[in-house]
Amino acid sequence: MRIGVFLCQAGTVPIDTVDLSAVAHYAANLPQVESVRDLGVLPTLDPSALADEISQDRLERIVIAGDSPGFFKPAFTRAMALAGREPNEVRLASFRQHGANTRNSTERAKAIVACAVYGVPFSLAAVPAQTKVHPATLVIGGGIAGIQAALEIADAGKKVYLVERTGTIGGHMAMFDKTFPTLDCAACILTPKMVAVGQHEMIDLMTYSEVESISGTPGAYKATILRNARRVDETSCVACNMCAEVCPVTVPSRFDAGIATRKAIYIPFPQAVPNAYLIDEAACTYVQSNGTKCGACAKKCPKGCIDLDARGDVIQVEVGSVVVATGYDVLDARKIEPYGYGVYPNVLTALEFERLTNASGPTGGKIVTKTKRFNKRTKSDEWVFDPDGPPPSSVAIIHCVGSRDANYNPYCSRVCCMYSLKFAHLVREKLPEARCYEFYIDMRAYGKGYEEFFQRIQDEGTFIVRGRSASVTQRDGQMYLKGEDILHDRVLEFPVDMVLLAVGLVPAEGAEGLAAMLGIPRDEYGWFAEADYNSDPTGTERGAVYVAGASQGPKDIPDTVAQASAAASGILKGIVSGRGVDSLGSLSLEDIEERAKTLVAG
Amino acid sequence: MAIRANPKLIDELVPYGAEDVVKCYQCGNCSAVCPFSKQPYVFPRKPMRLLQMGLEEKIKSSIDPWLCYYCGQCSEQCPREAEPGETMMSLRRWLTSRYDWTGISRLFYKSWRFEVGAVILVALATVAGFLAFGFSQGSIHHYDGPHAFLPSPSIHIFDWTLAIVLLALLLSNAARMWWFTMGRDKEVKAPLSAYFTKAYLLPVHFFTQKRYSQCEHKAPWLTHLALMLSYVTMLVLIMFFLRDMAAGPAIDWHVHIFGYLATIGLIGSSILFLRSRITKSSAQYKHSHESDWIFLVLLLTVAATGILQHILHRSGLDMAANIMYVTHLALVVPMLGLEVPFSKWSHLAYRPLAMYFADVRAVALARQGQPESMPEPVGGGLRTA
Repeated sequence: MRIGVFLCQAGTVPIDTVDLSAVAHYAANLPQVESVRDLGVLPTLDPSALADEISQDRLERIVIAGDSPGFFKPAFTRAMALAGREPNEVRLASFRQHGANTRNSTERAKAIVACAVYGVPFSLAAVPAQTKVHPATLVIGGGIAGIQAALEIADAGKKVYLVERTGTIGGHMAMFDKTFPTLDCAACILTPKMVAVGQHEMIDLMTYSEVESISGTPGAYKATILRNARRVDETSCVACNMCAEVCPVTVPSRFDAGIATRKAIYIPFPQAVPNAYLIDEAACTYVQSNGTKCGACAKKCPKGCIDLDARGDVIQVEVGSVVVATGYDVLDARKIEPYGYGVYPNVLTALEFERLTNASGPTGGKIVTKTKRFNKRTKSDEWVFDPDGPPPSSVAIIHCVGSRDANYNPYCSRVCCMYSLKFAHLVREKLPEARCYEFYIDMRAYGKGYEEFFQRIQDEGTFIVRGRSASVTQRDGQMYLKGEDILHDRVLEFPVDMVLLAVGLVPAEGAEGLAAMLGIPRDEYGWFAEADYNSDPTGTERGAVYVAGASQGPKDIPDTVAQASAAASGILKGIVSGRGVDSLGSLSLEDIEERAKTLVAG
Repeated sequence: MAIRANPKLIDELVPYGAEDVVKCYQCGNCSAVCPFSKQPYVFPRKPMRLLQMGLEEKIKSSIDPWLCYYCGQCSEQCPREAEPGETMMSLRRWLTSRYDWTGISRLFYKSWRFEVGAVILVALATVAGFLAFGFSQGSIHHYDGPHAFLPSPSIHIFDWTLAIVLLALLLSNAARMWWFTMGRDKEVKAPLSAYFTKAYLLPVHFFTQKRYSQCEHKAPWLTHLALMLSYVTMLVLIMFFLRDMAAGPAIDWHVHIFGYLATIGLIGSSILFLRSRITKSSAQYKHSHESDWIFLVLLLTVAATGILQHILHRSGLDMAANIMYVTHLALVVPMLGLEVPFSKWSHLAYRPLAMYFADVRAVALARQGQPESMPEPVGGGLRTA
């Protein structure tokens, strides 16, 4: 059989991941290949001219090689027909489809061309060899994504090391009051899962810990984990709170998004897993004074489980696969000066409002405005939430704060429209007298039941105003919001008592270092890059390393849970089958060529 | 009345400087940050929308672009980098070209080569005319007195002739502006009385530019005001006191003090504007249309040659002063003759007029029962009992 290989590049950007001349040279030396031609970028193909070429070289099979060779198939099929050849003998060698789309993919591209030349499907020839996959998995991040992935894998009977940076698992979801669009209580869904993680015999939970380094190869990674000292023995602590009662140091609570305080010895929230206290080194008088001052908690503890001099520990674990579930942070609203966050006390971010309206929050779930109080320690006035404070008579919610904005984040943060509508519901439910305004640009109610939820909020009496409000000002102690009501063609400036900023999501702090450690790329905004957006949204370029949840891009809880389960299934596939962990990379060019020849002969 | 859409309008605006209108996603941030954007004139978002929809006639009859002083806040905060401020500026250029019935303005704005060519042509014609006139009348060695090369009484007559021609052009264009924005509006008929009761606003806006002072940054307003007041002072001096300006050798401080102040104002503010445009110091100076450069360069050189001829004359260098005088006139004539009716300088008439019209129209709107402002949102509210 006489074969012609044509290199064609669809799209306007030349293929730079593959050395095309090396591929052409390799193809020319394959048996039966008569001609190799590089047609360049987006060639205009004339079937009759191609037919002449086919007739001249007496070609019997055509191989089109490139990133999207299918784009050129019709022209070649027609040319084969015109030349009186078998039109079915047009074979595609798709670099992208078969994974030759990363840097230095030339060897892979050669193998793809070879398979097309032999007429053997690449996926048949390139079945990877068995690679031993260590049955344990490292899950980085203990939010809902990490919890879900850990439970799926552990429930299948495989070992999981779950590493969480803070003192408890639960992540952002634990801070939420309700979930949209079902208005389920977030804690009611999350806490049983958290408890399951804490009690699972296959899950080794490491809170207050960080992954320091990862070495090894896909299927056999070695992770070094820094276990910071909690300074409270988590197995014997019964969370009686006696230590916190005597602790003299008060700092803002991170779990309460800074709107409430906690002590230097604390439990992030009552349902924390592990249900044990820990010490905030940066705030603790004893730690900061090198053991010369305080130490009241250790004396008070009835179980004697506080060891103020405890040191951190570094441990090593062997794992086969890794799940990255590091989640997100919210954009710092201070950056957007016109909204006055940090200047006016009653301008709140979304997370602050979640804590305010949460029954476990500082006001017991009552929506109130801040009241001024004199702080004796700092000798200055400060604004705090008091459960008996005055409720707001009007609340404005501003969408797209820092999202879809060329000055901040150009991308859509995806969850803000829906959580803003949820906020409107909570405001109207708890304060039926209050007026609630939503200022939106485009309402992105894209999920199942979301559009209906939007309708419901409208029907509940929320003022839904199309227009991005521009600024918050204050005159004589009254805040005013200015924005355009586009659908009514008016510029509005009206008094509001509380402004909620629907801040966008940004990659979690430390994502850059983790990406470098794992050797997986991030996209232009810093989200972890998936292997393929459509066909492999949880895999990464590194074998047996998966991404789940918002670390891969902003997403809501249902999508996060789905992606975490998908990552778990990929990992279980690797562990159970013992193959496929290195995305086909385990076979060399020679192996693939050999297998292709055997298949043709066989 | 059927509304015609011109789908190519957005492209037609590109030569006028509006390049990013397509990027706008209609969030209204610009309208909300703008200190001028109030009922019933809400901009820049709405004009951007009209442009996107190609509603040419609606834009042609809108006053909004003239109510903007281009402080640049809208462009700075625009989440899409759609440059609403520059779009408003471009619309002013486009409207100028629509008000002008001769069609010359269109050519100027669409091709800077044409504008520069016209300036050079008029300059050369001026030089030729004055040289011929000067040689036939007096001596190049005399600046003033009976044998003056360019005697001030003759220049005076020339000035007035030029002024009448320009005024006729400008007034006819302004009349077209009135027709587009007010006259042909069937829905809002402004009562004649409103034109009278609000007439005082015309000089107020012209001389104080008080709306500009509402912008957050005050420096551009002060520079702009200084330039305009200097220009008007100089215009008054030339139209009424030319003889005293050219007479010598003693300096008549009653007249000259104004001349010096105006010169400082003109040179200083045009240098400031040029520097801002070169360094692109803030949003409103980021995009400079060719017509902006031509105008500023003409203004600066006119003022510079004007003061130079004065200095040369006072130094006793009459011949050099005469040569500088001809150069000065060669710049003045195109600056006035071309820039006032057909290009950027025309905004000194259109902008105060537009603000005056806007107030007159607001009276009519108020009479029709349309409230001037309703600060609270409407709609939404309880839809189910």
